Amino acid sequence: MMSNFVFLPIFIPLFVGAILVFLNKKHQLTMKISYLTVFLSLGVSIYLSYYVFKNNPLILETGAWKAPYGIILVADKLSVIMILSVNVIALAAVIFAASSVNSKMVQHYFYPLFFLLIAGVSGAFLTGDLFNLFVFFEVLLMASYGLIIIGGSKVQFRESVKYILLNLFSSILFVTTVAFLYSVTGTVNMAQLGERVAEVEQQGILTGIAILLFVVFATKGALFPLYFWLPKSYIVPSPVVSALFGALLTKVGVYSMLRVYTLIFSHKLELTHTFFIWVATITMLIGVIGALSTSNVKLIIAYNIMPAIGFMLLGIGTFSAESLAGTIYYLVHDMAIKAALFFLAGLLVWHAGTSNLNKMGGFIKTSPLLGWMFFIAALVLAGIPPFSGFIGKYLLLRGAFDEEHYIAAGIGLLSSLLILFSVLRIFIGAFWGEVKEEPKEKVRSSGLAASGLLIAISILLGVGAEWFYPYIQSAADSLIDPQIYIDFVLKE
Amino acid sequence: MLHFYILLPFLAALLIGMFAKKVNRIHTGWLVLPIPVVLFIIFCLKLPVLAEGKIVQSTADWIPSLDIQLSFYLDGLSMLFSLLITGIGSLVVLYSIFYLSRKEQLTHFYVYLLLFMGSMLGVVLSDNVFVLYTFWEFTSISSFLLIGFWFYRDRSTYGAQKSMLVTVFGGLSMLGALILLSITAETNSIRMMIANRSDILESDLFIPILILLLLGAFTKSAQFPFHSWLPDAMEAPTPVSAYLHSATMVKAGLYLVARFSLIFSGTDTFFIIVSGIGLITLCLGSFLASRQTDLKGILAYSTISQLGMIMAMLGFGTGTAILAAIFHIFNHATFKGSLFMIAGIVDHETGTRDIRRLGGLYTFMPISATLAFIGAFSMAGVPLPIFNGFLSKEMFFDSSLKLEQTAGLAGTFAEWIPILAVVGSIFTFVYSMYLVFGTFLGKQNTDQLEKKPHEAPIGMLLSPIVLIVFVVVVGLLPNLINEPLLAPATAAVTGDLPHIHLAFWHSLNTPFYMSLTVVGIGTLLAFTLKKWQPLYNRIPGKFSSDHWYQTIVNGLLRSSKSITEFYMTGSLRLYFSIILVFLVVSTSIFMYFTEGFTISVDDLAPITWPEVLVGFVMAVAAIATIWMNQRIAAIIVIGVVGYGLSLLFVFFRAPDLALTQLIVETITVALFLLCFAHLPKLKTSDKAISEKLIDFIIAVSTGALLTIVAIASHSSKSFESIAKYFVDNSYKLGGGDNIVNVILVDFRGLDTLFEIAVLGLAALGIFAMIKYRDKGDMNQ
Amino acid sequence: MEIVMSILAGTLFAAGVYLLLQKQLLKIVLGTALLSHGAHLFILTMGKLNRGAPPILEKGIKIYTDPLPQALILTSIVISFGVTSFLLVLAYRTYQSNKTDMMDQLRGTDDE
Repeated sequence: MMSNFVFLPIFIPLFVGAILVFLNKKHQLTMKISYLTVFLSLGVSIYLSYYVFKNNPLILETGAWKAPYGIILVADKLSVIMILSVNVIALAAVIFAASSVNSKMVQHYFYPLFFLLIAGVSGAFLTGDLFNLFVFFEVLLMASYGLIIIGGSKVQFRESVKYILLNLFSSILFVTTVAFLYSVTGTVNMAQLGERVAEVEQQGILTGIAILLFVVFATKGALFPLYFWLPKSYIVPSPVVSALFGALLTKVGVYSMLRVYTLIFSHKLELTHTFFIWVATITMLIGVIGALSTSNVKLIIAYNIMPAIGFMLLGIGTFSAESLAGTIYYLVHDMAIKAALFFLAGLLVWHAGTSNLNKMGGFIKTSPLLGWMFFIAALVLAGIPPFSGFIGKYLLLRGAFDEEHYIAAGIGLLSSLLILFSVLRIFIGAFWGEVKEEPKEKVRSSGLAASGLLIAISILLGVGAEWFYPYIQSAADSLIDPQIYIDFVLKE
Repeated sequence: MLHFYILLPFLAALLIGMFAKKVNRIHTGWLVLPIPVVLFIIFCLKLPVLAEGKIVQSTADWIPSLDIQLSFYLDGLSMLFSLLITGIGSLVVLYSIFYLSRKEQLTHFYVYLLLFMGSMLGVVLSDNVFVLYTFWEFTSISSFLLIGFWFYRDRSTYGAQKSMLVTVFGGLSMLGALILLSITAETNSIRMMIANRSDILESDLFIPILILLLLGAFTKSAQFPFHSWLPDAMEAPTPVSAYLHSATMVKAGLYLVARFSLIFSGTDTFFIIVSGIGLITLCLGSFLASRQTDLKGILAYSTISQLGMIMAMLGFGTGTAILAAIFHIFNHATFKGSLFMIAGIVDHETGTRDIRRLGGLYTFMPISATLAFIGAFSMAGVPLPIFNGFLSKEMFFDSSLKLEQTAGLAGTFAEWIPILAVVGSIFTFVYSMYLVFGTFLGKQNTDQLEKKPHEAPIGMLLSPIVLIVFVVVVGLLPNLINEPLLAPATAAVTGDLPHIHLAFWHSLNTPFYMSLTVVGIGTLLAFTLKKWQPLYNRIPGKFSSDHWYQTIVNGLLRSSKSITEFYMTGSLRLYFSIILVFLVVSTSIFMYFTEGFTISVDDLAPITWPEVLVGFVMAVAAIATIWMNQRIAAIIVIGVVGYGLSLLFVFFRAPDLALTQLIVETITVALFLLCFAHLPKLKTSDKAISEKLIDFIIAVSTGALLTIVAIASHSSKSFESIAKYFVDNSYKLGGGDNIVNVILVDFRGLDTLFEIAVLGLAALGIFAMIKYRDKGDMNQ
Repeated sequence: MEIVMSILAGTLFAAGVYLLLQKQLLKIVLGTALLSHGAHLFILTMGKLNRGAPPILEKGIKIYTDPLPQALILTSIVISFGVTSFLLVLAYRTYQSNKTDMMDQLRGTDDE
């Protein structure tokens, strides 16, 4: 009975999304239903997390077909942490959308697309089947394609074409690679893949396949040198969409890497994981250089996605219980703070009437709350204690130093400084100084509420780390020993 | 209990932030004043406990699972600093009540100030290194907010940003050092680290740890070459300059070095770096001070130089040196704090801080002038028993002569130290005289001033008076604070309790001669200042630390822009090319090193010619698509590929697949036709041969790579496929004959559900794109 | 035979990639179609070719072709179809609003 719960985080948004297609002309009703849905879904995720942490992971064998023959959904500790985070972000997004999504956007199916995106992301986090992961990727991608063009501006079309083409290529590569893997191992079930790859010690072509898969996930997850499509395409849609993209889409790539490279391809660490560390280090640096290169407020935030992903990959590459805990902590923290920053950037751009930082100034007088939120968000992002970014960064750096990856850790520290600088520029440029141009509109309060919620969570994750860290460390511990997952799924 | 004392300013900040506006009638400062006063009294009351050789400690949980605990302890060193933080804090708050008018954003000011006060207390009382780091960064943040208090001024925001970047740079280095220390010593507690210091000293990472830690200390205490943020920090309101940027925050670096001395001191590396940087800073700072024209500028460089002096003494490491350093930390706080306040008074009462426009103010503000003279002479080290500064300076000279290092580089260096000490002190003397004579004596320029100068109200004078009283009293009776305060502090740094009696007169010894030299040459230089001041302009601006800072920051921004613009061209082709090249190169390299490629011809299906023929036609058609420039031709050719594939499906025993492919291909071709009709004609590619060649290479290598991986995958089948289950159970359990259908609908039904969702989403998107055509932006 | 088909699939892929690098949007979309075909052929080949009867149960036949890759391909065909359709309409709308279908003119400057 309880295992059916696992499907709920996917089913609820799917079902509601489908219904909302028919209500696209009824804005108020849609909003009310959306609020109800996210609260319901959040409640389910909380209960699910509570259950899994208290007892044991849950498996749903769809169609009652046993693993590895049928598709299974696995709610283990990592997955429920991710599901919980997704639903919190969804809640914040719905709050933000209250004042930023107008009726035209609703007519263009914003809410159905939104819920299907959530369903796809949740599915990706819960599935235990590699091909099914591909299918969920396609669901969330297709939803994102729909979301990115709502608004229909020139720029949106232009950037979406590139976005879609690049993702299409990586999807095709994904499905091909799954086939290659199937050829060697005879299965597409993740647990069984883990078991079989371990049996042959990942010899031969398997490592090559692992790298192909890495390229697929790295393109999704915005690692160097595969992220060029990201910055411009993430800023063209409406801020709530940008926030969803920044907070959720790239994280699916990181989650996939986390899952695949701990469960399945963890047998040639000196080769694969060292490679990951190099990619992570370069991404941390070049990404933040991008953030410093522009005066477009939204673009600064978008470029900041990359260094964060670099940090997370560093934890995967280091492959210790501590560093993996760091990756997970950082994942959760980054989902919250990136969404918050995209919200804030969006609010700022509406307030100022421009996204050019050089044309802004003195807004601390006209919108002090927005300014202070930006300031705190900058501190959180840069990893200043006692906020959430620090805990994640601390664990990652400590893990890296412990395994003697000194250069990577050093670059991580440098990158943190530059991240602080890049966002501080926004605060000083837009909020301090003289008022250059009068603001165009008042800051929307539901937007502030959504951002405030996420920032409060970041503060909580930092100051109250003791409440969260043990669970996250526990999730990391189960990742470092893939046999736990394998046994649980296959012996059931 | 200790954690409550630290919590108190934070709580107060919260309350003041929320409620101060409601209490309109009195200056917010009065509401704030009780906090530091109460804390000061509490700390004083703990003095007897320390005198007995005990320490006070308390612990509270923060993140026990990570061993990041709020453990605090109060020993001699932290007591000294706590008294300074709370004592000078009280005086500064009192001063600020009269300095800052009600028109300023007082609530913000006091909130930031209280945040700083709590954080600084946290720094000096923390035993847990990561909690120390937390409070350390918080002092940087509150300093940032205070420097940028008048945020509408460009210079203020510039100074704030600079201080933030430089100190956070140091903070992050320090974090690296602390993590390494924590790993090496296997503890997060400073006291435990001290106990385990042999682990640290013997570690390979000793020098990197030391350097990273010192980077933190040097940036915070404005040592060379990180000193230039301090003069820019003078944009803050003067109470801030008196509090943070002379008496407390900038001393945090000194605190750090002192606190960790028990681990690092005694080694040559420590000696050379710390004393070296300290002495350079002493000389450079004092030299540049006389160049300044802003009163606060002179004081800023003076602070830099004085901090260098203390840092040097911490580097010396001997008992006398440490005692002298501790003593000077105290003394410097008293005279510098008061000098800053006087500078603020002058600014307040005359409207300017430009020393060139001031002069002869003694007649108008005799009290301020007297206070300034005493403070300045103490700073200069004038040998009279009422100046506490002289006492610590003598001890500085004394300790510079009694260094323990004799061998090697350290030994050679040690021989030069007394000379550097004298040079630095000479210039200290010069700028001290420059400061007070230039402001209070000499020609009066009062008609050029904005306001008519007059003495400050007694409220503003109270705090400097208190401080100067300390200067004089400690000068006359230094041993009053020796045993209760200075000795325990020294003990915390060196491990031994010193038994040195502080006295003004020791006999005509070398240090005294050094002092006389300083006074002599100093007086000479001070009175001929106008003659050689132009020399400063000869120094190329290129070498100033501010110039370096700007070069680095602007260079960073400019190079970021050019690097990013280099690869973010917006060109889809570039993006694809890079991704593909990365894919091919990394996979090939990995395959090579893991010997991934295998080819086995054992288990292959026989080659049948119909299939090969169809395949051949498809290949030709695919390649032909590239050159087709007639729209219809292109569609035909792509159709050939699609239908050919369908045929292959038939040959390869996949009937359902063939049917589906047929249908889908037909619809796709129709869609293509539709699209082609609305889009422009196909053009011949106008790319250069070299571009086409690159495209060709990338394309072929990608295809080849995948082929190779495919062949290798096929050749290394290692397991029985799970498909057997489907074949066996399709009818038995699934109730169907068509295995593929049963898989789709039953075994792997979830896939099918969501594949339909994808189709639905596509339809939704298409529908929206076509039906809701809108002109322009909807993002409002 | 699998080797031959792998080479064929690789060729389709190569042609598709070449088209992907072209300037005209429609050529790029044609390229993606080729890529999909190549991918599907790869998947089929991975399941061994011509090993048994078509996967429809019949009395007496014990050996069947691997049905799993076929099911995966079906799913993938449908999904690719969805995406391709969307892409074609998007190409049309992009051309409409940007007045060009040449990718090098669709680079975009650092606008607002």
